Amino acid sequence: MNAGFISCHDCRKLVDAGKTEKGVPLACPRCHADIHFRKPNSIARTWALIVTAAVLFIPANLLPIMRVDFLGSQSFSTLMDGIIYFFHEKEYGIGLIIFIASILVPLFKIIGMTIILLSIRFKWKSWLKHKTTMFHFIEFIGRWSMLDIFVIALMSALVDFGGLTSTHAAPAATYFTAVVVTTMVAALTFDSRLLWDA
Amino acid sequence: MNSPITNIACPGCDLLLKIAEAPPGKKLFCPRCNTQLYQKKVNSITKILAISLSGLLVYIPAIFMPLLTLNTMGIHQYGSIFDAFLTFHHQKYYFVAVLVLLTSILLPLLRLSFLFSVALQLRLRMYSRSLPFLFRTSHLFDEWGMPDVYLIALFVSIIKIESVASIEYNFGFFCFLFLVLMTRAAVSALDPEAFWNEIEKIKAEAYGAAGPDNG
Repeated sequence: MNAGFISCHDCRKLVDAGKTEKGVPLACPRCHADIHFRKPNSIARTWALIVTAAVLFIPANLLPIMRVDFLGSQSFSTLMDGIIYFFHEKEYGIGLIIFIASILVPLFKIIGMTIILLSIRFKWKSWLKHKTTMFHFIEFIGRWSMLDIFVIALMSALVDFGGLTSTHAAPAATYFTAVVVTTMVAALTFDSRLLWDA
Repeated sequence: MNSPITNIACPGCDLLLKIAEAPPGKKLFCPRCNTQLYQKKVNSITKILAISLSGLLVYIPAIFMPLLTLNTMGIHQYGSIFDAFLTFHHQKYYFVAVLVLLTSILLPLLRLSFLFSVALQLRLRMYSRSLPFLFRTSHLFDEWGMPDVYLIALFVSIIKIESVASIEYNFGFFCFLFLVLMTRAAVSALDPEAFWNEIEKIKAEAYGAAGPDNG
């Protein structure tokens, strides 16, 4: 952007913008990725994904995420029930890890991205450095929300003693996975350089 | 005029910066937005070759062999990483099943094989047109492959199960542990800038100095 160069988003090579023709998509000579000054439609796509994630986060928390059958009786539990179980069992460390990974991280991603998008919309120019750091943090923590889904996968594969006791997934698993995917894709479509353009 | 070779733009805020050589092990940060720019690694290509090969060697037992055997009231039950994916499939949670298949089984494999193939080609100084694609894509797979998250999930499950059954650790468990270690080692040994520079170098060798679109 500055000084007539485009920085390749995939391999960071600086490509001479003078060689581009207007409207023609350009490929990086080094890694062959499409290059753009900024990621295309970044703000609209990120807004759409963050709003979707916020909506899906509601059923993900309210509906049961796991079903345990014990001697013929079924019991459903939500995300929060699972966390409370660990605190009752005095496994505070594990309870805290699941609470952070499945509740705090998605909330932080949704609220954090909203703050970043609003500050571009209204050209808030303060705390730019901190917002960029927050964005990199959101990129970094995104994948850890899959933790609870993997726990359910392992529990239902391992704890399956026929009619005695068995573990199954419940509807919130789909909503929760969708929240993880939409927030991760939102972090990919967002271009932090837009914060500095405003 | 600035030459593209001596400058980079910060990926976080697009500030134009002069390339500086970081001492091995030290990180460079953007002075304006604090995004990490470079961390120089020693012998990155050789290390990646060794790490990805070791990871690939344990891949099949890590995914398909039983991780744990549970015993309760005389009933034995065991399962592998692949079985965990299959249960979502059997319960008709297809969206979750596909995501679990990608993040825990397919993408870690593709990531290691792509890295291995790129490092091998660079060591043998063979350029192929797929080389940039393989390296670029392996980066994306790193973000979506989550064997490390899976390992923490495995520990959480063990703590949950301990109260209802006794646990025996099987061969698959140790292979998976090693696979996760190698995946993380690949992240910390990878120096993307060194790889890209080598890719450019052998491409120039392959096509001669006036190669196609070698700006």
